[in-house]
Amino acid sequence: MRSQAMFFQEQAAQKACDPQMQKTLAYVRPLFVGKRKKGLEGLAADGLGFEEMRVACQEIRDRVVDNLDVWLELFEARAQATGAKVLWARDGDEVARLLVDLARQHGVRKVVKSKSMLSEEADLNTAFAAAGIESIETDLGEYIIQLAGETPSHIIAPAVHKTKEEVADLFVAHHGLPRQSDITALAREARGVLRQHFLSADMGVSGANFLVAETGSAALVTNEGNGRMVTTLPRLHVVIAGIEKIIPNLQDLATLMRLLPRSATGQSISNYVSVLTARGGLALDSPVQGPEKIVFVLVDNGRADLLGGEFASMLRCIRCGACMNHCPVYTAIGGHAYGWVYPGPMGSVLTPLYTSLKTAQDLPQATTGCNQCGAVCPVGIPLPELMRALRRRTFEEGLRPWLERLGYKVWAWAACHPRFYHWGVRRAVRYLKWLAGGEAFIRVLGMAPGWTGGRDLKAPPGRSFQELWADRKNRG
Amino acid sequence: MRVALFVTCLVDVMRPSIGFATMRLLEAAGCDVVVPEDQTCCGQPAWSAGEADAARALAKKNISDLAGFEYVVLPSASCAEHIKNAYPELLAGEPEWAEKAADLSKRTFELTSFLVDVLKVNEVPGDFHGSITYHDSCKGLRKLGIKQQPRQLLAKMKGVTLREMGESEECCGFGGAFAAKFGEISTVIVDRKCASIRESGAEVVVGGDLGCLLNIEGRLRRRGDPTRVLHIAEVLAGEGQ
Ligand code: SF4
Repeated sequence: MRSQAMFFQEQAAQKACDPQMQKTLAYVRPLFVGKRKKGLEGLAADGLGFEEMRVACQEIRDRVVDNLDVWLELFEARAQATGAKVLWARDGDEVARLLVDLARQHGVRKVVKSKSMLSEEADLNTAFAAAGIESIETDLGEYIIQLAGETPSHIIAPAVHKTKEEVADLFVAHHGLPRQSDITALAREARGVLRQHFLSADMGVSGANFLVAETGSAALVTNEGNGRMVTTLPRLHVVIAGIEKIIPNLQDLATLMRLLPRSATGQSISNYVSVLTARGGLALDSPVQGPEKIVFVLVDNGRADLLGGEFASMLRCIRCGACMNHCPVYTAIGGHAYGWVYPGPMGSVLTPLYTSLKTAQDLPQATTGCNQCGAVCPVGIPLPELMRALRRRTFEEGLRPWLERLGYKVWAWAACHPRFYHWGVRRAVRYLKWLAGGEAFIRVLGMAPGWTGGRDLKAPPGRSFQELWADRKNRG
Repeated sequence: MRVALFVTCLVDVMRPSIGFATMRLLEAAGCDVVVPEDQTCCGQPAWSAGEADAARALAKKNISDLAGFEYVVLPSASCAEHIKNAYPELLAGEPEWAEKAADLSKRTFELTSFLVDVLKVNEVPGDFHGSITYHDSCKGLRKLGIKQQPRQLLAKMKGVTLREMGESEECCGFGGAFAAKFGEISTVIVDRKCASIRESGAEVVVGGDLGCLLNIEGRLRRRGDPTRVLHIAEVLAGEGQ
């Protein structure tokens, strides 16, 4: 997917002023926040503390990230021992190429997909379409936005920006069935249509929440059951996953599962947790069901560059979405403004790192530094600090406008020269008071139009603290 | 006890009364308050913007200015947090300075946390009558663990009724340069805060960081909401009536 992050500022402003979008966001925000809160209460009821679980989860992820090469080789060996094939892709284009090749080799005409953010990174649907292969998203939300020709706005709830009326319109246009107006009926209709696709598809494509090194398996955490259909019905199954998705063993999966669904949707456990392993030597007519063949495509796409560096902690991410759901900025503008696959704080770190800092530099700027994301992240990623490190890099690489850079230099020089600084402050407070023209508030401020666009500025009294204090001291 | 009062650049420019209220509170608690004359800014705006060199220069300046005081107190959790956490990080590569930064970090406190956690004050000098709702500012809450301190102090004032707003821990959307750079986004965020404040039914919203307060007050007025906005120091010192 080509990044549109350079348009963040305009896009975000537009979403912030879009009443329909605001209505949706206002409705959704308390749901996610409330569900996670309930989920954590459940954890406490089990006698487990969030902080201790978070440390445990972080340790599992760090253990792998710190020695990723070793774990990848182990996973590859174990997966191959079960009869699976393991392929490696450097970037999104290579993923797309590999998958189209696989489809061609196996005579695939139709692909069913369950949710995978990597497939968005690779823009897989476009590649399949170009190769004349039909590909159908089967996660309900993904299916809806595929029909609408859009991209996901949330990593867990991709169509969260769509109203039920919009969905009904889409279904009428694409299914040619009578219009349904309630959500259950719409879901049932989609299910009926999708069932046919599952049965007629030749290849299934899924992501993986985790890759279990011990067993050479993919672990999938889903709620709709479509994941099971995708991974078991077609004869060929392809798992695409980032190289950082490895965890050592099934016990670790159990530990991570304590926090993943709770952080994502507040569930103590998702409706489905599947562990997918190739069939080994089992004959096709054995009672063990599933695809004839499993292929793992392990993708770098910028991840390896993070290893051992100041952004390595980002590789811990388990894509729960809690950081976005709790982010004041994400919940004010939604996901599309971020311009690439990952929205919210995780995206503000990942997009500049995986695409380009130059074009995505506004993302890590768009933060209030509130640390709500850092506080909820189940694997302890210091998101605000990573965003700040990106801002530092932006500054060091000279990517900010020259006027801004000069401004900070002049200001910092002055702040280190108190006499000059206080002289400047005395001028500034008088100017601001004059601007207010005798009123208590300034309504238009030429040098900060962004501020007075939405709010007034209380006028200062016209003399600085330092001046008033000097007066007071002199009076004794 | 010699205490340096670091008023912060925002208070110096926008609302000196908060500096004087802070001084009054510290003096009432028995501190010998000194205002280091050369103080300017803690450097947080530079660090936030990614200008590490400028932030480092200011860190060194303040470390030198504030040496020799038993405590350094600020009427802002955000600036206190910067001194406590960012100075040691910024100077980690220069052992001599890193040590001084760590030392200053230990001596630096946000006002309410200093009054409650260090001085353990039993009374506050001011008087205030009315209902108050308290906005928890992000850095204080999530980085310095400031939550109960201001509430404990308000509870010592007989005329104060505390009416907690919903989502008091939610960000107000200020974020320093953020509110000016991304005005529209900030407006959506501060609107939620204004709604929570209104629903609380309190007459006054109080907080510990002038940045948040300027943002909240500015938006309340633009919405035509007359709810008063005060800094916790002003209320405790009795300057809010
Ligand atoms: S950064 Fe943390 S909170 Fe955000 S999606 Fe990843 S694991 Fe979840």
